[in-house]
Formats: sequence, C-alpha cells, structure tokens
Amino acid sequence: MLLQLNNIFKWVNSGGQRIFLLKDINLTVAEGEFISVMGPSGSGKSTLLNVIGMLDNFDEGEYSFLNEPVHTLKEKNRANLYKQYIGFVFQSYHLLDDLTVKENLEMPLLYKKVGSSERKSLVADTLDRFNIVGKKDLFPSQLSGGQQQLVGIARALISSPKLILADEPTGNLNSKQGEEIMELFKQLNNEGVTIIQVTHSEKNATYGSRTINLLDGRQINALNG
Amino acid sequence: MIKNYLKIAWRSIKSDKLFTFIKVGGFAMGIAACLLIALFIKDELSYDQQYENKDRIYRVVLQGFMDGEIKKSVHFQLPFADALQSDFPEIEKAGKINMSELFGAGKRGLRLTGESQNNFEDGFVFANQNILEILEITLVQGNTKEALLQPDNIVISKSKADKYFPEGNALGKSIVLDNNTSRPYTITGVMPDFPKKSHLQFNFLLPIEDTNMSWTNQNYFTYVLVDENASIPALEKKMFSIMENYIIPAQLAYGRDPAFIQVLKTVEYKLQPIADIHLRSDLAMGDGLKHGDIRFVWLFGAIAGFILLLACINFINLSTAKSANRAKEVGMRKTVGAYKNNLVAQFLTESVLYSLISFLLGLMLAWVLLPTFNEIAAKSILFPWEVWWFVPLMASSALFIGIIAGMYPAFYLSSFRPVNVLKGSLSVGSKSGNLRSGLVVFQFAASVILIIGTLIIYKQMDYILHKELGYDKDQVVILEGANILGNKSESFKAQLLQLPQVQAVTKSDYLPIDGAKRNGNTFKKVGEGIEDRGIPAQFWRVDYDYIKTLGVKVKEGRDFSREIASDSINSMIINAKMAQDLGYENPIGKYINNGRDWTIVGVVQDFHFKSLKEDISALTLVVANNDLGAISVKLKSDNIGGGLAAIEAIWNKNVPNQAFAYSFLDQKFTQMHEDVQRMGKIFNSFALFAILVACLGLFALSAFMVEQRKKEISIRLVLGAPFKSIYKLLTLDFLKLIVIAILIAIPIGWYMMNRWLEDFAYKVDIGWEIFLSAGGIAMAVAVATISYQSIGAALIKPLKSLRTE
Repeated sequence: MLLQLNNIFKWVNSGGQRIFLLKDINLTVAEGEFISVMGPSGSGKSTLLNVIGMLDNFDEGEYSFLNEPVHTLKEKNRANLYKQYIGFVFQSYHLLDDLTVKENLEMPLLYKKVGSSERKSLVADTLDRFNIVGKKDLFPSQLSGGQQQLVGIARALISSPKLILADEPTGNLNSKQGEEIMELFKQLNNEGVTIIQVTHSEKNATYGSRTINLLDGRQINALNG
Repeated sequence: MIKNYLKIAWRSIKSDKLFTFIKVGGFAMGIAACLLIALFIKDELSYDQQYENKDRIYRVVLQGFMDGEIKKSVHFQLPFADALQSDFPEIEKAGKINMSELFGAGKRGLRLTGESQNNFEDGFVFANQNILEILEITLVQGNTKEALLQPDNIVISKSKADKYFPEGNALGKSIVLDNNTSRPYTITGVMPDFPKKSHLQFNFLLPIEDTNMSWTNQNYFTYVLVDENASIPALEKKMFSIMENYIIPAQLAYGRDPAFIQVLKTVEYKLQPIADIHLRSDLAMGDGLKHGDIRFVWLFGAIAGFILLLACINFINLSTAKSANRAKEVGMRKTVGAYKNNLVAQFLTESVLYSLISFLLGLMLAWVLLPTFNEIAAKSILFPWEVWWFVPLMASSALFIGIIAGMYPAFYLSSFRPVNVLKGSLSVGSKSGNLRSGLVVFQFAASVILIIGTLIIYKQMDYILHKELGYDKDQVVILEGANILGNKSESFKAQLLQLPQVQAVTKSDYLPIDGAKRNGNTFKKVGEGIEDRGIPAQFWRVDYDYIKTLGVKVKEGRDFSREIASDSINSMIINAKMAQDLGYENPIGKYINNGRDWTIVGVVQDFHFKSLKEDISALTLVVANNDLGAISVKLKSDNIGGGLAAIEAIWNKNVPNQAFAYSFLDQKFTQMHEDVQRMGKIFNSFALFAILVACLGLFALSAFMVEQRKKEISIRLVLGAPFKSIYKLLTLDFLKLIVIAILIAIPIGWYMMNRWLEDFAYKVDIGWEIFLSAGGIAMAVAVATISYQSIGAALIKPLKSLRTE
C-alpha cells in the first residue's frame, strides 16, 4: 500500500458559513495503480491532488503515506517526504523559462544534492528515454506544448519518485499530443510507476486502472480498493 | 550549486534588459555619487595630517566678547611668540608668520642678481626660524637649523628652485626683489613644496624684518609646539598672563581709555589644533586663508548617505516588483524539491551579482566623472587604487550591500507557498503596500528637499553676482605687480590717460576684492568725550582718481581734488557706515583722529569691499603717496581688447624687464565668491543624481504596481473601460504620495536653507515661488515617469493576461 486517506475533510469559512472543499474522502492507493480523478469544475479534483501531494493542508482526517502519518508531521518533514517520493506534472507545464531543457531536468537533482557525474548520467538517460536528446539545449519557449509537457514529465520522473501526480496533463494540448502523453503515462505505469491524474476527458480516464468521481468535494460511487 | 545560482542569475539579468539596466544603472549612479562624495570628504578631512607632531601643533586664537558678539582674531604682536616660549615651559617652541601685504608679503617681483628680467611671483611670507621647526619643514638643500636667522636669508620652494635653477644648485645664489638691488637676498634653503593639503601655501620664506617690538600692533600668526604632557585647557588659562603682564600695561601707556582695557580683561586665548584649521575656522577670524567648511562636509556626507539609501530602496523595490514573475519559479522549484534556504541562497546570489556589477559600473562612472568633479570642486583628488584597502573595501561593500538589499526580496520571495502561486491565487506584494508607499514618500521628500536647496542656492548666487555693489566692477583692469614702476608710476598713469580707450586710472593697493591690502585702525572723535573707546574702521590710502575710477557715488560733501592743497595733507572721505558709527548727522567738517587729525570732506555711499557674507563695515579714505603700487584702469566699454593691447605697449616701454600681467576686477569679484559658487555646483550635481535615482525608483514602483494589477486592468478593459480611466486609476495613487512628500519636504527644506542663508549678510528671501517650483518640478518628473508605465498598462491586450486562467 502506497498511501491511504481516511475521512479527509477540507473546508474554508466564508461569511459565517463553512464551505467544504473535500468532504469525507476515503482512498487507498496501492503501488502500481493508475488512478484517474474526474468530476466537474469545482468538485475538488485539484484540491484532492494537492492534498495527496502535500502541497496543501487538510482540516480533518488521517493521511498515511508509506506508513508515515502525514497529518502528524511537521511542515518541514512533510516537505521532505513529498520531495523524495512524489513528482508533479502540471497542466501548464511550469517549466522555468530561463533554463534549457537539460537544466530544467537537472534542477530536482541539484536540490537533492546528487553528485555531478551521477547527475549527468541521469540527465543523459532521461533525455534518451524520452527521445529529446536533440532538444536538450533549447529553451521551453522554443518547444511545442506537447514537447514541453514531455519535458515536464521527464523532470517529474528524473528523481525516480514512487508517485506521479498529474493535474490535467493534457489540458493545454491538442488531441494528438494528448494521446501521445497518455500513451507515455500508460507505458510508465506498466514500468511500475504509480500515477494519479486529474482529467476532464472520459477517454483519458480509460487509460487508468480505476476512476474516482468527485462532486462538490464528495466521492460518488467510491470504489475503495 | 553556486555555479547553478550564478547561471540562473545571469540568465535573469539578460532576460529583461531594460529592467536590469534601470536596476543596475540606478544602483551604479548611487554608488558613483557616494564614492565621489566619500573621496571629497576624505580629501577635506586629510588636511594638515602630515606632521609627525600634529597633535602638539596649535595656532593661537584670541577670543573675546565685543559689541554683543564673539570676535576672534589670529593676529598677534611681534613679541607675543617669544613671550609664550619664555614664560611657559609647556610651550616647546613658538613661531610667527606675517602674511600682511602691508609688510611686503604676497606678491613680489623677483629676479636673479645679474639678470634684468623681473618675474612676478606669489607666495612670499615672513617667518622666523621656529616656524621651520614647528611645521617640520626639512630643507632639501641648506641647513634647516639656521636657514632663516640672517636678515638677508631666503628659503624657496623646490618647484621655484627648479624653475630658476634648473641645473640644480640654488643654495647661496643671490636674488633681488622688486628692483631693490641695494638689498639682495641669499638663498639659504630649498624647502619641499607645501603639501596640497596644508592650510598654508607659501613659496618664499623671508626672515622677519619688522623690528617694532610694540605690544599694540598685531600682525603675526602664532604657531606653537606644545609639550606632549601639557594640559591644553590649563595652558590656555595660564596664557592670559600675557595679557596682564604685557599687553594691558602697553595699552595703558599708549593712552587707551578704561573701557577698552575692560574689554581686554575679558578676552581668552585658545589653542586651535593645526588639523582643525582647514575645516573649523571661523570666517570671523579673518585669517585670509582658503578654508573648507565642516558643515559642508556634514551636508555632503548626509547627501551621500541619502543617495545610497535611495539606491538601496530602489534595488529592493525593483526586486520585489519582479516577484510576480518569479513567484511561479519559486513554486515550481519548491515542488521539485527546493528548500527555503536554497531559494534564499539563490536570490541572495542574484542580488550580490547585481550589486557587484553595479559596483563595477559605479566605480567606472566615478572614475570617469572624477576629472569633472575635481574641476567643479577645485580639488585634485585621485582614485586611491594604489591604497591597499581600496579594492577589498569596494568588494566587501558590494557584497555587504548586495546581501542587505537582497535580504528582503530573498526572504519574501522564498516564503511563497507553492500551492498558492501555482494556483495563481496569490496577489503578490499586496501585504506590504504601506511600507512601499512610505518608501516612495521618503524618496520624493528627499528629492524635493534637494530641489529646494538647489533653487535657493542658485537664487542666492544670482543675487550675489548681480547685486548693486555700490561701485562699478565692470571693465576695470588691474595691472599686476605695478609696484615695480616705483617713482615712474605717475608718468605711467599720465601716459595711460592719453589713450583713447582709457576712461580713468587710479593707483592704490586697497581694492574692494579679497587679497587686496587692508589696514584696520581705530578712530576717535576729536574734541568730544574721552570715554569713547574708539571706532574701528579701515584706513585706506588712495589717490585723487580712486572714487571716480571705481564709480563710487559721493553722497555728501565732495570727492578729493588736486586743486585743494589740504586734500593731500589732512582731508578724509568716509563711507556712510562710518558716518553712522561716528553718530554724526552731518559729518562734513568734523575732525577724527587715528594718531593724527583728519577733516571729513565727503561721505561716499556704502560699497561692498568684502565678501557679501559680511556686512559693509566702516571705511575711511585719504590721499597719500605710499601704498599706491597697484594700478587700476577703467576702460571705455567698447573694444576691451584694443585697450589692453595699448596698455601693454605702454607697460613694455616703461617696464621692459617684467612681463605684462593683468586681471579684471569683475573676475576677482567672482573669485571672491567662488567657494559659494563651487559648493552650489557640487550640491546641484548631487541633487540631480538623487533626483535621477528617485525617478528610477518611481519608475520601478509604477512598473511593480502595473504588474500587480495587470489582471484587474485587463478585466476593466474587457468591460469597456476607456484609456483615460485606466490611466487615472494608475496615476492618481502615486500622485497622492508625491503630494504628501512635497508637504513633508517644504518645512524641512525651508529650515535647512534658512540656516544656510544665515551665513550671508546679504541674502535673498525664500519666497513661496521656490516651493511652488520645487513641488512643480517633482510633480512633473513623477507624472512623466509614472505615465510611461500607466500608458503602457492602459494599452495592454487584455486577452494576454487573462489567458492563463
């Protein structure tokens, strides 16, 4: 078991009223799963992803990640945890415009204090694996959207995380590019990477092994595996 | 890691060139201004530091309370120094210097014995042997111990020795001064040139010729070398015994009245450390030396601090202004594993890099501007590259300021929470709006104060240079070294008057400019109260044409006339101030006495014969046949050049052995106020610097504001807001701050400039128009700066900033 969420609540207080962003979420994710989170706008998909990614806090409930009780950890330890095990992929790629493809890939390794030679070989391997060796000295603005997202995924994967969180990874791409990215996810999942993706598209959801539907912060037809 | 930081920093510098230019340029300007001022201050503070015994060398100052104000004097009697040395064991040596032109100090005609060509030289002074020892003058040729002991000795400076004796040996050579071949001098020493940073600047030291050991004549500066264990306050007190034992008895014997003796009993002797003389001497001392002013040192120091502060504030503001763009980067880096301290280190590296580049640019800028600055400030400051601490100091300052200025943005930016910035819900920088407004107000208040200062200094300068002086300074040529003419001067004058270009000619060493002869006397009214302690007044010896040549107006009575025989014997013309001091309603025909009786035959209108910092004081004029060395020629207004050429021809005929040299009275007048003008110019240039830096700051802030409100503006534009309303929206907020800044600046500026003007006896009024124009200038500059951004913002394509949602 990779992670488990038990009765997670998240709310904001607005004008004396409590508005629930997440309401009683229960979810268990095993290693090797590929989960799609679906639901209309404002249903709490991204919030759930951020909570899982430990970028955002929740107000009530228990969250254990690799048997660590996340809800009791201090902010700093929590950050250490996600930095070690989780990779993020964003809808708008979030590459650093001032850095080349190679440097963008290198960045997570620098923060992990990976030695120079190991870093070089990891970057070279990754460039090779994603077939972007020819693009390594280009800046993000010189790439197409699909290529940028490819770099985004490569960057998320370079430090070998256990879990990839992808927030509408194909949302800014055309259908052909989107398909390629989903195929890539599929392949990564087959290689053993756990993936949770947020998506609007039924078609993309089918790439996953199961789907979680959210509405107004609640799970509907939840399948607790 | 650090390499990576540097690389990122370099990329971010390159990626926004305009922004980088403003950030670095503004900072560099601040640094350059600060550096120049620091060098100026260091130069001013380093006067008279060269003496090994500098803590033991003092100049004696007399301080007394007279007519309701503190009067100071540095002139003492000939036997004063000797008495100090013999009466007080604490005083190791006492030396004296006479710089008075009445005795022949200042400018003289010089030639080597056996030659015929005279050279006009400046920097003659009378000094005794002790002066050489107190001022630690070690001769490069000759015996320091006895160089000024004989009456025919002369010590000359190295540069003059090189000029006259290029082959090397000046010692023992004979020279003649002012054609006086009967009394040649023998060079007994060559001294090193006085350092540039010495309050004394002489080229020729003559032994003291004066033998009048009277305790009632005061002509000598007195310098003392004090024993290292002596208590200065105690010694100052003890020195009063000189007054009791020598001066008061002498004054009583001279017949001074009791009131005067009472005043003498209240005076004090003070010892002024030699290193204080340059910056901490009162104008009231009347020592006739060129001084700096400690208040300007403070003022400039404050300006330098201001400019640096403004530049640092800008640096911080510009960094935070860009934070909206960097927020995404921070979020991203955090999600891929950056810790807060990684980011702090990254932003600090960037800031230090900016700072280093700015320092380099600032150094270069200061280096390029230094010659211009030297010209304005009349200095010869060099860049202290060779001083061991200079480069390390600059480098560590760059590091320090880089870290300080980068601290706020670094911690501010690195504290962003990734989920907030990535979601785009963080409105960057809205929290510290008050701080930022405060900084704008501060910057602009400082600028407005400087503008007010600039305007008032300019107005005062203009007032001084164009003030009705009471005499006509234009087209008057002063012939330098005309005393060489000796008894030929009367015929020379007659020849000049033949020239069609010449309107009038007068002979007198007393002229209404600095550096001309002065002679203070005390006058008594003849036949009136004996209690009266005498009226101090200048006593000038002139010729018949003096009043006419200088265009001074006769108010009552008459000008001197050759037709009236008594005019060359006992007639006197006084100025209106003298008439007032005497208390005479109708002074014509009255008698006054300064050792002999004079009949007042005329009263002239007051004219400014001193710097306008000082009030016009009492003045008396008599016709005489000595002190008539300097010749002044009033030319007719057309063809000055022709007039000069004609005068030169006549000069060469009469004085074939000395080159023709001249100056203009109006130039001399301008020189007299050079210090004010110079300080004004320095002040103005740095005010300009500060205003520029402040404008860059405003530019940065308006950029920041536009960045922050881009989305709001876009939405407004989409909803159909016209250009005008967007422009107003963005500009008005800032204008409010500028108005507050102006309101704060006006009283401070008014107070500061009032203090400055107090220095002048004749000054302009600070009117409302000054504040109006200062405020107007600041406002105009601010509007122009903000508009650049506001117009840009009002013209953005709304889709661009909304699309990311």
